Amino acid sequence: MNNLTVSASPHITNKSNSTRNIMLDVIIALLIVLLAAVFYFGYHVIINAAVCVGACVGSELLFCLIARKKFDKEGVKQSSIFDLSAVVTGLILALNLPSKTIVKGWDLNIYQKGYDALSTRAVDHIIFSFDTVIICIIGSIFAIMIVKMLFGGIGKNFANPAVTARIFLMLSFGLSVVNTAGVGLAASTGATWLASDKSTGNQSMFLNYFLGNRGTAAVGETCMIALILSYVYLSARKVIDFRLPLIIIGSAAVFSLLFEGFYKGSAAKIFNNMFANILSGGLVFGSVFMATDYSTSPNTFVGQVVFGVGIGLFTMLIRVFTGMPEGMSFAILLMNVATPLIDKYIFPKPFGYVKPEKRKKAKDGKQDGKAEVKA
Amino acid sequence: MIKYYTALLRVNQLFGGRVLSDKDKSATFRAGVHPPQSKSPSKSEQIRVMPAPETVYISLSQHLGKPAVECVAVGETVKAGQKIASADGFISADVFSSVSGKVTAIAERETATGYAKHIVIENDGLNECVEFTPLTDPTPSEIKDRLRESGIVGMGGAGFPTAVKLSPQDKVDTFIINAAECEPYITCDYRIMLDYTEQFVRGAVLLAKAAGLNEVIIAAEDNKTDALEKVDAFIANSSLPVRTVKLKAKYPQGAEKQLIYAVTGRKVPVGKLPSSVGVLVDNVHTALSAYLAVTKGQPLYKRIMTVSGGGIKNPANIWVSGGTTYNKIIEFCGGLSEKETVKMISGGPMMGFAVDSDEISTTKTSSCLLLLTKDEAFTGSPQPCINCGKCAKACPMRLMPMYIDKFALAGDVKNAVKYGALNCIECGSCAYTCPAKRPLVQSIKRAKKRARDLGVK
Repeated sequence: MNNLTVSASPHITNKSNSTRNIMLDVIIALLIVLLAAVFYFGYHVIINAAVCVGACVGSELLFCLIARKKFDKEGVKQSSIFDLSAVVTGLILALNLPSKTIVKGWDLNIYQKGYDALSTRAVDHIIFSFDTVIICIIGSIFAIMIVKMLFGGIGKNFANPAVTARIFLMLSFGLSVVNTAGVGLAASTGATWLASDKSTGNQSMFLNYFLGNRGTAAVGETCMIALILSYVYLSARKVIDFRLPLIIIGSAAVFSLLFEGFYKGSAAKIFNNMFANILSGGLVFGSVFMATDYSTSPNTFVGQVVFGVGIGLFTMLIRVFTGMPEGMSFAILLMNVATPLIDKYIFPKPFGYVKPEKRKKAKDGKQDGKAEVKA
Repeated sequence: MIKYYTALLRVNQLFGGRVLSDKDKSATFRAGVHPPQSKSPSKSEQIRVMPAPETVYISLSQHLGKPAVECVAVGETVKAGQKIASADGFISADVFSSVSGKVTAIAERETATGYAKHIVIENDGLNECVEFTPLTDPTPSEIKDRLRESGIVGMGGAGFPTAVKLSPQDKVDTFIINAAECEPYITCDYRIMLDYTEQFVRGAVLLAKAAGLNEVIIAAEDNKTDALEKVDAFIANSSLPVRTVKLKAKYPQGAEKQLIYAVTGRKVPVGKLPSSVGVLVDNVHTALSAYLAVTKGQPLYKRIMTVSGGGIKNPANIWVSGGTTYNKIIEFCGGLSEKETVKMISGGPMMGFAVDSDEISTTKTSSCLLLLTKDEAFTGSPQPCINCGKCAKACPMRLMPMYIDKFALAGDVKNAVKYGALNCIECGSCAYTCPAKRPLVQSIKRAKKRARDLGVK
């Protein structure tokens, strides 16, 4: 009876519900997507994922050690890497990058001479892309050190680290994408549908987009089946609110109809473009994995509706009215920054809340009474 | 219009709202958590009587409000059931001796929540009782007087004097007996419903009569179906004006405001008492004590208590004389088990108080003594908040615990109150569900106290 702990209630807790378990669930969902990406884009994706995860965990550990000035075993134990959030950031970042890329002016890639399977032209295949590895490391350090840890670590970051790093890399390096997907159906190369042939969609194209058999700027966003599987998993495990991705995708669809109709005309094209907008680009991936990030999304359902509709609106504004093919990451970043504002003004009324008019009247009455007495 | 309304109701049910006018389904409230029930260790244990110990330490602060003032002196001989301290003020209650013997000291002692004056009585083992005077066919005011004279308080935990509660300023039309017992481990109310069915139901009718009401609603969670069936069977035979309501087994179903919403659909306004919506709520054990006080004349000096948890050898439901120390209770229940006890709790695991000494004695409101092992209790340290919002989803009062926590730790009382600190019922649903294991209730309590000190509203 000597070692009794005294603490405030409650004395029991939901042990299966811990930060690490939540992150593990997200990692499992991300692995489904990673598997699909490896299937379509080859071993490069595994290298990128390993480098990103390693660099993210490494830079978080380094930051913790420097911040606490403890460079021993104890320092490692006290660091925040064991909640696995750095692994999640690393995986999301890797899935947001192309499998291999050539940075202008660097070109440190190893090539092998070969032939293109379709056109039988002589082409150089990239065997190992040093450019991508370097980009992965830079992106990881930026995501963890600057976006996450400088603002106070997990739960305190103002924006999603992976999204911000992706935007940072896109703007700084102008990634030229060398992604080729070529399994089964006709291979397609290039950036996204959005950039090139948005309006030429036909049925086989829809199927390819649904399966993920397409070239894209980010390896994670291609395979709809994998994304839907991971969405179902995360929703069933109650890691994410199942309504938020639906709100984002739904509002994006509505705004797509509105803007494209306003802009382009022709009814068949409008609907075609709506499906293109939903299936291509980072919309689904972003709404499942990046917009649902806890610390950068509102905590109330009404707040999440505002947040989700905002993302849909900005994505479609950027896609339809600007020269950029992809608007999802900018839209998420914008709404991330707006989240504290949303949470400031939208919060639930407590149970048994009395409308303020009554209170105000009562107060005014009292004040009037007082004033009269004074006069 | 009607179609629209029914559709709304369906949606309301989908999202866990109260179920209206459907007898098969259990009524409930929105949000809340589902902690493991853990009632099995003591659920099947019949209520036994624990013999009074050699010494009892009777606290003078066993109720809400001002502590009672002692009316015996050191060296005086008292009998069981004799008044040893009288109520001081309107919200206060008399205290009675639980044994016959000699008063050896009146001193400050540790309680589960702080320090209070205790009367120490040496038991002479003769078990002499004062003569009890039963009432036959009493009027409401007679019942209320008797409750006051017998020191009856709300025995669910708060300890609000029952006689005061039964004379509300507002007009009331509904009387509910709270048999939800949503806290894990505790089974004393459940056992009372099974073992003292008649006394408990008749006591409830007496309480309703005292408040001038003709109908009693007994509301229990649907994990106590057997007890409810027994009560139903008794009601059917006795033709008393009582009906039962089945509630969903969910925490905190027994919280007053949530219970009233589940049973009647009325929302108690923020900062108001249940009587403002015409409802009175009383506890199962209070009804039993009222029955004993009115029909037998026995004042409140002993109560039924659950002893449970992995740390105790023989979990039990026992009659305990007021002022028995915890070590005597542990001894009576076969002592500690082989598993090491890391937390001793006076009350339930969600809202009880962790204590550090087994010298603390029982009061009118000690419903449970829990000895939790390392597997059961949480003793870890908090991690940074990840802003997941699970606490806000679990909160039955629809507050934002993460923001209250944040502002309370930063000393910003005004914003803590803005996010609802003062409306918190301290049920612990938020901290139970928190993945980062933050002590949210602790910081909310702190914010509440600071707000009261500073007068922030």
